[in-house]
Amino acid sequence: MRIISKLQGGIAGLLASVALAGAGAASAEGVTLEYWVYSDFAAGDALALQQQFIAEFVAKHPGVKINITGKGDDDLTAGEIAGAASNTLPDVFMNGLNVGAQLASVGALSNIYDKWMAMPESFRAQFNADAIKSCTPKPDKMYCLPYTGFGSLLFRNLTVLQKAGVDTSKVPATWTEWFEQMKKVKAAGLYAMPDTTMVFNSVAEIYGTTGDASNWGIDWATHKTRIDPTVMTKVLQKFIDMVPLNSGTSRNDQATKDLFIANQLAFHVVGPWVDPTYKQAAEKNGLKYDFQLVPGDTPDKHGGIKSYEIVGVSPGPHRDLAWEFATYITAKEQMGRWATLLARYNGNAAAMADPKVASQLLITKSVEAVKYAVDVQPPYFVGTVPSCYLATVVDIAAATADGKYTAAAGAKEMISQLNTCLAE
Amino acid sequence: MHLRRHLPHYLMIAPFMLLFAIFFLFPILSGFYYSFNDWNAVQPAKFVGLANYQKIIASRDFARSMWNLGTYIVITVPLGILVALGLALLVDNFTGRWAHVFRGAYFLPVVLPSFLAATIWRWIYAPNFGLLNMMLGWFGMPSVNFLNNTGSMIYCLIAVDVWASAGFNMIILLAGLKNIPTELYEAARLDGASKWQQIIHITIPMLGPVLFFVVTYGLISAMQVFDKPWLLTGSSFTTYGGRGNALLFPVMDMMGRGFGAVKFGEAAAYGFLLTLAIVMVTALMFVLRSWSDRR
Amino acid sequence: MTAKRASATSPTIWTVLKWTVAILAAVIAVFPVWWMINVVFSEPGQPVSINPRLWPTSLTAGLQTVHVIFAETAYLHAYMVSVCYSVLTIAGVLLFGSAAAFEFALFDFPGRRIIFGIVMLALMVPTAVTIIPTYLLTADLGWLNSMQGLVVPGLASAFGLFMLVQFMRAIPADMIEAARLDGASHLQIYWHVVLPLCRNAMVTLAILTFMQTWGNYMWPLLVGTSPDMYTVGQIVGMFNSPLSHQTVEVVMTANLLAAVPPLIFYLLFQRKIVEGIAMSGTKG
Repeated sequence: MRIISKLQGGIAGLLASVALAGAGAASAEGVTLEYWVYSDFAAGDALALQQQFIAEFVAKHPGVKINITGKGDDDLTAGEIAGAASNTLPDVFMNGLNVGAQLASVGALSNIYDKWMAMPESFRAQFNADAIKSCTPKPDKMYCLPYTGFGSLLFRNLTVLQKAGVDTSKVPATWTEWFEQMKKVKAAGLYAMPDTTMVFNSVAEIYGTTGDASNWGIDWATHKTRIDPTVMTKVLQKFIDMVPLNSGTSRNDQATKDLFIANQLAFHVVGPWVDPTYKQAAEKNGLKYDFQLVPGDTPDKHGGIKSYEIVGVSPGPHRDLAWEFATYITAKEQMGRWATLLARYNGNAAAMADPKVASQLLITKSVEAVKYAVDVQPPYFVGTVPSCYLATVVDIAAATADGKYTAAAGAKEMISQLNTCLAE
Repeated sequence: MHLRRHLPHYLMIAPFMLLFAIFFLFPILSGFYYSFNDWNAVQPAKFVGLANYQKIIASRDFARSMWNLGTYIVITVPLGILVALGLALLVDNFTGRWAHVFRGAYFLPVVLPSFLAATIWRWIYAPNFGLLNMMLGWFGMPSVNFLNNTGSMIYCLIAVDVWASAGFNMIILLAGLKNIPTELYEAARLDGASKWQQIIHITIPMLGPVLFFVVTYGLISAMQVFDKPWLLTGSSFTTYGGRGNALLFPVMDMMGRGFGAVKFGEAAAYGFLLTLAIVMVTALMFVLRSWSDRR
Repeated sequence: MTAKRASATSPTIWTVLKWTVAILAAVIAVFPVWWMINVVFSEPGQPVSINPRLWPTSLTAGLQTVHVIFAETAYLHAYMVSVCYSVLTIAGVLLFGSAAAFEFALFDFPGRRIIFGIVMLALMVPTAVTIIPTYLLTADLGWLNSMQGLVVPGLASAFGLFMLVQFMRAIPADMIEAARLDGASHLQIYWHVVLPLCRNAMVTLAILTFMQTWGNYMWPLLVGTSPDMYTVGQIVGMFNSPLSHQTVEVVMTANLLAAVPPLIFYLLFQRKIVEGIAMSGTKG
């Protein structure tokens, strides 16, 4: 081991001298902030608006330069972890709440609690309180500002429903009504739903129709799942019931969207990001669809999940300026324009209440959906959800649907396996 | 005098060896060091002895991914080479333009990036309306959810794999075939040997060294299989391996433990366990070769 | 008598069988690619699920999608980066690998076996083990977001060495000896005698290296974080991400565009392979 550290030291020294010779020129001028966003925010109209935000910010901070870079979901995570390791983190960056714990553990996200508290109350009050809570695992630790978000919606293909003899003006108010409609669709020879046991998020969406935040997620103090066996039994029974009705494709598959557009699939429970695709299909090939809240077991309850994309600030030398930029893009004025352009819900509640924004149906529905939905993987920023946890939920749900377990036995097995996984 | 005689040799290998030492040997050694540490690539490493190794061997995913790997290489390597050999013999039987056309067609999948192959095949395997299910439908067979049936998933991967790699092995074997002196076949024909006997007694033995190369390379790369199963299952750093972990392979688990759970020490330990397996399999190949040479 | 009859009929059976199998295999090999081309060049808005795309239906629609992708992403720039990355890597792998293989395969010198053994061991270590240490090293060198950062760490290809050594071992020692007696220097033997002889292997290695670098995803992702270092793989990755809201045609087009340079490269080099095979054929 001594040899290795010696070797490491030697090579590091050698490299440092090479690196010194190479550097020098770049950092002389004004500050440049690196700003990483999701790839769809760095293309087309979205990019134009982001660049406008940047231009406005730069106008107020002469000499500052901001480079915007778009990356796919996993690429953001890999890039941010690697950046933390090599001290080349972007100054301001996005990611999802569900990888927040990992990013915080490697020190990619700096604790912005003091800076947040130093902001005027008028700014802090703009945000959705639940979203801020998700960013604040402990009273004095805050790691992010909420950005865009979603609550699952039920997209309905009206042509398919009419073909199946369903009265489309009557939105299903409960699971029972919804399931009746699914059976009618099946009887008409069409697919009612995607296979909801294929990805974690769609299992969670159906769980939300029965369960709620009090019996979902992980208790990190005891390393036990909070899933309730009776709730899970009921949910697994729904998966068993839906087996003959589903298309065999997952919630996220390209193929599922394709079936929906082709008038083969009646319902698609998913986030609002599919809407641009469906809207385009409506204009081009006359797709008739709408979106509603996901029905729950009782009329006053709704299913589905919610989550937020987050904006984080890295602990680099430009932390203050980076924070300022982060507050600029998440403030009401910008979030309002952002929501209007994309028709996407976001974590700035004040912006969502703005009449111009609230006139967009997709956003008002999302605001409603978020109120009822369960968080995907709560609590955030506490522990890293192990992959076996997510895999177990999906696997047992699928195995139960395949008939390997009864609903009750499946729920029991799932919970015991989840606890074993968390204990590892 | 002694050094002077050997100096040209060392000079010729120097550029390669220097790059190799810096960018391979050093990272391998430091990876080996980190495999005994709790390390997230950012904070200083904390020595934990064999804990990473113990943890991996004890985890339920380890047995699963090793089992998958075993099943996979036992089928995909021989099958891939058999198909490639078949194609090479087939092409060897054509001359002129048609040899050119067929060789070109069989090699086509090789030049596609693997992400592309996976994207296409996901559609081919799609339930109900995928190409494969459409064809099953012509024969009145029910739709199969190929990529979500824990029994069929691994065969789906193998099919894609053979499809993508057979052309490459074919070209190498074809080069070997062209090197076999035609006199050998003529002599055999005069002795009354059938086409099949010629393949068994002349072609295969004469192809020996080339076959050895193809098999060894096939094994080493098959044991590091990553991107095709990753993309076929739509994996991400947080969830990977597909339904029931039926397409979980060691390198996938390494990437997940590294970039998903930020445990790079554990990922490194996993890597060296896999290295050990690869070394053992390769050593076995060399033993088999020297054994068959002696015979 | 039976033998005579068999020899009269079997050639035709053999021929029919040969052609059937050859054509069937060609269809299996080519069809998936053909299908993808059809998805790209088809009437817009027709879902794949009700139209299985057995032939292309609209050239203009496909070109339109291509145009949109070129306009909205830095695809053309990514081509340039990927081509530079691949070409430089191939040149380096062939040059350094062949020089080293020449020595390991054809000469003996102290330490030869042990050094070669170490390189072969390294061949068996999965890249996933070394990727983070190599990345940290590259970052320390200040090579992030640079072409040398992309290329240099991959130049010492253990696999390339293994392959070239395997091929060079077949070169008869008399040939080297004869060249030496003719007064050729060590370098001349390498350049004028050995390299031309293993041209076939070099072309194969070039193709393999090209495929590896062109399809390489993880390394460019870590090293080239800024958009002006994006490779084709990274651009396609943005379209392939599971929550991307793109439709099938667009995703497939982005994927197909990534395959165009390899296809061109392949068409160019296929002739080279054939020549190489023909050369070694006459030699045998």
